Amino acid sequence: MVPALPMTGRLSLAWLRTRPCPPHLEISLRLTAVTLLLRPMGPWFVRPGVLAAAALVLISPRALRTPAIWIGVAALVAVRIAEDWPLADNHIYLLSYWTLAIALSLRSDDMAQRLAIMSRWLLGLAFGFAVMWKVLLAPDFLDGRFFRVTLLTDPRFAEAAVLIGGLTADDLEANRRALVPLPDGAALAEPPAVIEPARLRALAAVATWGIVILEASVAVLMLGSPRRVPAWLRHTALLGFCLVTYAFAPVAGFGWLLLVMGAAQTADRDVWLRRGYVAAFLVVLVYSEVPWAALLLDLVGEP
Amino acid sequence: MRATAIPPALLTVVALCQIALVRAEALTPWKGGGFGMFSTLDHGAYRGVDVVIEAPDRSEQQDVPPSLDTLAARAATCPSDWLLRRLAEGVVARERRYERPVTTVRLTVWQTRFDPRTLLASERTLRVFTYTVP
Repeated sequence: MVPALPMTGRLSLAWLRTRPCPPHLEISLRLTAVTLLLRPMGPWFVRPGVLAAAALVLISPRALRTPAIWIGVAALVAVRIAEDWPLADNHIYLLSYWTLAIALSLRSDDMAQRLAIMSRWLLGLAFGFAVMWKVLLAPDFLDGRFFRVTLLTDPRFAEAAVLIGGLTADDLEANRRALVPLPDGAALAEPPAVIEPARLRALAAVATWGIVILEASVAVLMLGSPRRVPAWLRHTALLGFCLVTYAFAPVAGFGWLLLVMGAAQTADRDVWLRRGYVAAFLVVLVYSEVPWAALLLDLVGEP
Repeated sequence: MRATAIPPALLTVVALCQIALVRAEALTPWKGGGFGMFSTLDHGAYRGVDVVIEAPDRSEQQDVPPSLDTLAARAATCPSDWLLRRLAEGVVARERRYERPVTTVRLTVWQTRFDPRTLLASERTLRVFTYTVP
């Protein structure tokens, strides 16, 4: 007679047991592993574990379907967040929830459906909170200040400010000097003027409202009932957001994660849609690794 | 609770705690898992910490040394007592390594604000923290 396993033993075995994984889901899991490899994270006691797990799931189909590996990655990412709290970016939190969602879904027989549900909720909530911050909580977003100052001072947006906003390199330098803060309570007799061409103001306004509309669309479509919201609309909104935003936003890791989560919502028959997600993943990779705006600026010649 | 509810519930709890921390401890909205990035100019690039070290016959302002950059970034991002104390303890330990006297460390966390119309910038003190060496 085989002795019964104690409860803890049965629980541990459940995390090691693998179930057949639909091929369409494997793409999403593999892309998650690629994302982990493309942006290594954390201190020495986190990084090797995350990288090893990512490499393992890419080369071993069995490891790819093992919940214990994914729960291990989720735990390591959580340790990385705690280690230098509060410095971790928001997509590291989302990565932790996502890898936990993968681990939990791999323990059930209807893993594809469960992961799709969790993906919709996670994306809907993340975008919902992002919109709440921009529209309700932040004091300087809707009045345009955020993008006006960011375009004028953040070197990562300098090419956009020149190409689209009509500034010159000299204008940018003068603006950075003009926007150096004064000590609390101090005021200059003749404060320097900030150079803001009409095109730059228009760009800031379009960016402000465009990002709110895009993010709110994704939030509403993800949180809406799947019976009422057509899947193609959800996917179009998410793909559109990623292809537009990550051309400028310097956080490719966030873009890849959103795309991976979107790919997990595709059905078995959605072959072309899944290919679209893979293509978008590669486009964000190109955005991140090719200084396309600087090259374009060289090509058209700085004004 | 169904397993599918766990990750979304975690996200919601962390995001709500982040909002509370922004209100209570002046955590920057960009950090803490509340998805407030790219929503405000109140972030690391526009925050900083000034360090003043005092001892008998000594009162001087110091730049944050590279060895304390991470502690200073954490304290500027969330100027709560425990993070400011850890930075102050780091400053004291460094001063002692160089055999310099220190009795008090005063930390001032500031942020930059931009005028809604002219965009002209000014500094505003977020928090002043004084650490007396035990």
